[in-house]
Amino acid sequence: MNLKYCWNRDEIEQADCPMIGMEEGELLLSKQQRLLEMCGDCAKFVNDLKQLYDEENPLATLLSDLLSENRRQKTQIQSLVSFLDNKTLEMRFLHELGTVLQSSVDLDEVLSVALTAITAGKGFGMNRAFLLLCDREADLLRGHLGIGPGSRDEAGHVWGEITQSDLTLKAMSQNFRQNKLSSERAKFHHLLEQLTIPLSNKEHIVIKALDGRNPVVVHGAFQHPEVPTELANLLGVDTFLLMPLISQNRRIGMIIADNFVTNREITEEDMHSLETFAFPVAFAIERASLYDKLQVELNRVTEAGKKLKEQQELIVRMENMALVGRITSSIAHSVRNPLMIIGGFARSMLKNSPPSDPKRTFIESIVAETQQLEGVLDEILNYSDSLYPTRDFWDVNQLIEATLRDTADALASLGYATGYSPGFDLPPVYIDFKQLSYCLRTILQNDISGISSDLSIAISSQRGEGSVIIRIQDHSKHISQAELDHLLVPFLETRNLGVGLGLALCKTMLEKQGIPFTAVADEGSGISYSITLPTNKEEQS
Amino acid sequence: MSRLLVVDDEANIRVLYAEELKDEGYEVVTAASSAEAAEKLQNGAFDLAVLDIKLKNESGIDLLQKLVKERHDMPVILCSAFSCYKDDFSAWLADGYVVKSGDLTELKQEITRVLARKAQKAKGERV
Repeated sequence: MNLKYCWNRDEIEQADCPMIGMEEGELLLSKQQRLLEMCGDCAKFVNDLKQLYDEENPLATLLSDLLSENRRQKTQIQSLVSFLDNKTLEMRFLHELGTVLQSSVDLDEVLSVALTAITAGKGFGMNRAFLLLCDREADLLRGHLGIGPGSRDEAGHVWGEITQSDLTLKAMSQNFRQNKLSSERAKFHHLLEQLTIPLSNKEHIVIKALDGRNPVVVHGAFQHPEVPTELANLLGVDTFLLMPLISQNRRIGMIIADNFVTNREITEEDMHSLETFAFPVAFAIERASLYDKLQVELNRVTEAGKKLKEQQELIVRMENMALVGRITSSIAHSVRNPLMIIGGFARSMLKNSPPSDPKRTFIESIVAETQQLEGVLDEILNYSDSLYPTRDFWDVNQLIEATLRDTADALASLGYATGYSPGFDLPPVYIDFKQLSYCLRTILQNDISGISSDLSIAISSQRGEGSVIIRIQDHSKHISQAELDHLLVPFLETRNLGVGLGLALCKTMLEKQGIPFTAVADEGSGISYSITLPTNKEEQS
Repeated sequence: MSRLLVVDDEANIRVLYAEELKDEGYEVVTAASSAEAAEKLQNGAFDLAVLDIKLKNESGIDLLQKLVKERHDMPVILCSAFSCYKDDFSAWLADGYVVKSGDLTELKQEITRVLARKAQKAKGERV
């Protein structure tokens, strides 16, 4: 036996062995490890073994058998390592998938994650996936979402992008949700519509798989006796996978996956991997759907609570209004009628008494005092009436024209001339008509002193931003801004109650309705009033 | 001479109205309730009615609606103790509206205005 060969030496040099690479230096020092891992595949060793055969050495057969067994075991170990590597990757993927699914209650997010996982290369690597969801009310299994390329070209482009970007599953699904969800919906809209199947159609292969609660790989779809021709034509593939989504024994939906572009065979292993994945997906979809429903119910309850509160406030308001109304009516009749009778008879007596009558002064005092008291009563009643405005939508031109008709005779008798420039296409305004009428009448007929020779009042209306603005320019009243401001404060001058609460009351009424009101005095040109009426309810405070 | 019907539950107000309006040259008939008003209306025609908006235990507005329906040729002026009814839709059926006051000038002017309008309308119809 020639013992110069490398396999029989304890230590060798790098140049002695063609099998050992530069990074496997430790094998140079270990004869046993070198024999197990390298020598069996080395031509030199095989040649030495052949020499043993030639020399008819009985160890040759034994060594050959040992070598074969060693090779077989090495191959098996490599296969197991590869299997373990794949399983590790799968476990990592499922862990990532589970983490994402568990943390989301957003249905779109869950669906994006699920379908991305099925089609991602680092996931289950299918080409296309379609999700169908059970609509129990309509008794349908309804096509909901699809993902995947529509053609080979698109596939090359999309998969190239994905490979380059090297994203995690979560990042990929987020990207899908933000950038692709709508376009994928649109792309598969027609197909998804046709993928809608009645749950009652128990003979349909998809419903059968769903009811059976087990995945099915369909081969030879175009010739398959149980696959409807339209389904095979619709998908356009010979092989596809049906994966039922079941959560707590309830049917949630179905995933249909295929390899539309690559035509890669769908193996039993693919099916079992997807089966493991189907349960958390079904659970997450059901949870997200329930969360959506819960949100809808919550919004409904919140809205109902809001309406209830509004109704309660309205009831309180109406009770208050009714109370104020009763009090006002009672005061009006209890005080107004006696005042009117006293004042009326006093006037009658005054009218019939001769100028020389010594009691005439007393009667005149009664007339003046009752008149003063009537003024006070008017102001108090109007003030109480302003406390609870009742608003609705009204036409501004109708409001102004009615006020002008109302005041026309009185103003004309005093020599006033009014002019109105109505705005066109004005939207309706949200106001208390009665109170606004009162305000306009008061502005037109107020008894501010400081009358000029120009007895003209110009009124206009025009559209504003979310409002209609009424402007009144009274050229007849010339007072200072300080005097005008004084008139806008209610009950500031109690000694003079009954003479001039009108404008202050207008301001209060408008403020209560959240309506901006300005009054600007110019001693040269008169007073400019501006009332900004809202065109919707929200504009008001 | 125009004939007026005054409906008010306050006796003194009826007297005051009757005195003052007679001085203006009208023939005045008074009633304290809608039942009494109905009775007076059955016994003769009136050119105009002056109604208190709040009668004892009944509403002047209801009587107004009845009068408008049954006596549509007789104008009605509403009187009330405060002005809030002026912008009430139901009060818009009336031909005039006056807030009660010891100074009856406004009521008298309103009566003159409404009767003049009625006369003008009748003249127009005749033509």
